[in-house]
Amino acid sequence: MLKLEHIYKWVSSGGRRIFLLNDLNLKVEEGEFLSIMGPSGSGKSTLLNVVAMLDDFQEGEYFFEEEAIHSLKPKKRTEIFNQNIGFIFQAYHLLDDLTVYENIETPLLYKKVKSSERKALVADILDRFNIVGKKDLFPHQLSGGQQQLVGIARALIIKPKLILADEPTGNLNSKQSDEIMGLFKDLNNDGVTIIQATHSESNAEYGSRTIHLLDGTVQKS
Amino acid sequence: MYANKERIYRVIFNTKEDRNNEIWATVPAALKPAAEEGIPEVEKSARLWDHDFGKTASIQADNQNFTEEKLYYADSEFFDIFQIDFIYGNAENQLDRPNTGVLSESTAFKYFGNINPIGKTINIDNKIKLEVTGVYNDFPGNSSLDGNIIGSFKSIGFYKEPSWSNASFETYFLLNKDADPTAVNTKMQKLIDANVEKEDQWYTLDLQPLERMHLFSANIKSAYTSKLGSIEEVRNFSLLAILILLIACINYMNLATARSQKSTKDVGINKTLGASQKILIARFFTETAFVTLIAIILAFPLTFLSLPVFEKIVGSSLSLNFLLSLEFLGAILAIWLITTLIAGSFPALHLSRFSPMEVIRSGRDKESFSAFLRKGLVIVQFSASVILIIASVVIYNQLEFMRNKNLGYNPENTMAVSIAALKSNAERETLINQFESISEVSSATMAQGYPGISVSGRTLYKNMNSDESTPLKTNRTKGGVVETLQLKLLAGKDLPENKQETDSIVDVVLNKNAVDFLGITPQEAIGKNIIANLGPNAYVIGVVDDFNFSSLRTPIGAYAFNNGFEPLRYMLVRFKSNDLPQTLGKFKETFGEIAPTVAFDYTFLDSHVEQMYASEKRTAQAALTFAGLAIFVACLGLFGLAAFMAEQRTKEVGVRKVLGASVSSITRLLSKDFITLVVIALMIAFPLAYWMARKWLQEFSYRIEIGWQIFAIAGILAILIAAVTVSFQAIKAAISNPIHSLKNE
Repeated sequence: MLKLEHIYKWVSSGGRRIFLLNDLNLKVEEGEFLSIMGPSGSGKSTLLNVVAMLDDFQEGEYFFEEEAIHSLKPKKRTEIFNQNIGFIFQAYHLLDDLTVYENIETPLLYKKVKSSERKALVADILDRFNIVGKKDLFPHQLSGGQQQLVGIARALIIKPKLILADEPTGNLNSKQSDEIMGLFKDLNNDGVTIIQATHSESNAEYGSRTIHLLDGTVQKS
Repeated sequence: MYANKERIYRVIFNTKEDRNNEIWATVPAALKPAAEEGIPEVEKSARLWDHDFGKTASIQADNQNFTEEKLYYADSEFFDIFQIDFIYGNAENQLDRPNTGVLSESTAFKYFGNINPIGKTINIDNKIKLEVTGVYNDFPGNSSLDGNIIGSFKSIGFYKEPSWSNASFETYFLLNKDADPTAVNTKMQKLIDANVEKEDQWYTLDLQPLERMHLFSANIKSAYTSKLGSIEEVRNFSLLAILILLIACINYMNLATARSQKSTKDVGINKTLGASQKILIARFFTETAFVTLIAIILAFPLTFLSLPVFEKIVGSSLSLNFLLSLEFLGAILAIWLITTLIAGSFPALHLSRFSPMEVIRSGRDKESFSAFLRKGLVIVQFSASVILIIASVVIYNQLEFMRNKNLGYNPENTMAVSIAALKSNAERETLINQFESISEVSSATMAQGYPGISVSGRTLYKNMNSDESTPLKTNRTKGGVVETLQLKLLAGKDLPENKQETDSIVDVVLNKNAVDFLGITPQEAIGKNIIANLGPNAYVIGVVDDFNFSSLRTPIGAYAFNNGFEPLRYMLVRFKSNDLPQTLGKFKETFGEIAPTVAFDYTFLDSHVEQMYASEKRTAQAALTFAGLAIFVACLGLFGLAAFMAEQRTKEVGVRKVLGASVSSITRLLSKDFITLVVIALMIAFPLAYWMARKWLQEFSYRIEIGWQIFAIAGILAILIAAVTVSFQAIKAAISNPIHSLKNE
């Protein structure tokens, strides 16, 4: 599905280069559930941002379904991202002023989906996640686990091929965490490719493959 | 300025109802001698007469011709009351003798160059000769008195036969040290009672302190000085200045509370560390005071730099000497304190009130009040700006309207040449004949006055036995006046070209208004004998359509051209010219051949019309300048607020971008709130502006309709300006990379 080859990303500090990604190679097949592990600062988030095309890199090649991302214009990249990728944050990042329903609906608005279709899609996913009763609540009225559930629902609403999750359970307790991971497993079984960054061994085990990142390079696969 | 300024008074003339209770600055010449005898409080008194009732004088000096608008005749006490330094000659005993006069320094230089002109003679209108007996320092720029030449009062006929009925003389009293002006008023009334029959008393007299003359004389007519201020204008300007200062204060409050979201944490920490509310309030006020102080210090050099702009607006040169005076510095200190109090109050009280926990815990609810207030303040700012925009547009439209209105006569390509100084009627006849033979002249006539300047005031009676009357302006002219002014003849004919001096019949051309008053049609009016103090044999020979003979502020009244007996002061000339300087040269040459001792003094009728609206033009300029300033300041505030809001919403923007929002949708999202505020401001401003504009327009008898277009223009302009201001910030936020704002905590 996607292929990263010899990716280098650095920032300059005091004339020296600090490498965030250092000759990183990664291949992810369609239908995989990949867990990325590594200590803080090892480049997990940076890697996810690069995969999500939200962040640039200085050297290397990135192919997403045969598309050479490194040579595309920003606008085209954004388009590919919007069509194919859902992003889930550790801090949920729900929009405070919007209800659960509106939060989930937002990506569809940006994709200019028709109103009737939007209603059907949102109703569908609320039902699937068992949060129909919460649809008119605001984020601060929900627990962390429920908020992350909304975050996932929001990422899934556009039916992405790939889900990127940056420590999705980092702010949750273990029970909530297990529920979310179970949900990921189900999604994966339905054919969605998932890449998650995590600190937790037990979460990583939900995945079909785990890689370890240290100083911006893959340790073993 | 004058040593005795608090004891100097001008006598004011209050007319009674039959003259519309008008207030004049000129009083009868008989008052001064009577007051000197009958009112012991009057220490000194002096009369002034504006040459030929305010007409421009033609002066011959050193065989050169000049025109002079500021020629007065004054009693010898004048320089005792107003102490002016003399360069040549003494201040004492000036103006004592008939046919003497003094010149201002600049006038003396203009006439005679750099020599001592004492003993030289100037010839005024070929009628009066004055021997120069002194040269005085020009009246200072802030003096209301403005004479360039002052002749002795004894040089004119009114000195020998002062009357109680001709109120044409400005009169100044210097009262005793302990004199009570009200007592003087009573004594002046006694003098009137003693000298004027009760039924002929159409006025009362009053005193106006010299120090109130400049600003509080707006409703006083026939004053000599042109250097008139208006307290109204001073108040309006002050109000606008306060408005702008208030908008600036609002900005400060807005930005301070906006920033407070960041500094609330700071406050909370300080409070947990034991700072009392008092200390915190003091801290905020100190901060504000410091900012205001810097602004005040910056304002001084800026005032100097922007002086030319101010001078252009008020139309006179300004002195900045007051900047370092004690009163002014005191006022600045007061402004500093008040500004600090207003601008600092909200942040100080609002922020220091927070309980520590409430402040440290970042929640949504506590923001709402200050957010609400900020929005309210932005609305106030924009309402004020929009009102100013509408005001300037309305004033400009009214000016345009007045400039383009069909006046009922054609002021273009028409000039009025002063001929009062010509020696004889025969000379005038020659002059007009010569002018008519110039190819550029299409018609010419002679007249007592022309539209826009005062002519004789008479009363038109409905018929012989009726008391029903209307004020009638009468203007003595020669034949051809209808043709020269291009008036529209409704019935009858123009005044005849030839009329014998001895002929006692007065031909009259009435305007439509006068005929309407008489209750007849223009056709019926022809041949009618009218009762209007024009003599027993005044017959209507023509009727013209109404025309605006005075400014558009006043409605058209009754008017009559006639070939009666008043002196002819102007030659009105209609001309065609492709090369104005050349034509003027020709005119001047022709004039000089016939009247070599008279200056060629002329006025274009259209520029005279423009001049009538000079004060409106100033108001428009001021309104425009202030509107610009207010909008600029309001935009500064909006800009800062938008920057803050964008910063506050960076996280949201990031999330939305990750969810697929485009740059334009983010820009729209961030701008929408502000545009809504501006739209609300418009809703508030429109009715207010409409009301104010209507009130202002009431002053004009001829005025524009306030159309919706004005509001549309102002509205679109305000929204556009706000959109540009806000979208800059919004776009900046929208194109930023979302990952920076979404870093995990």
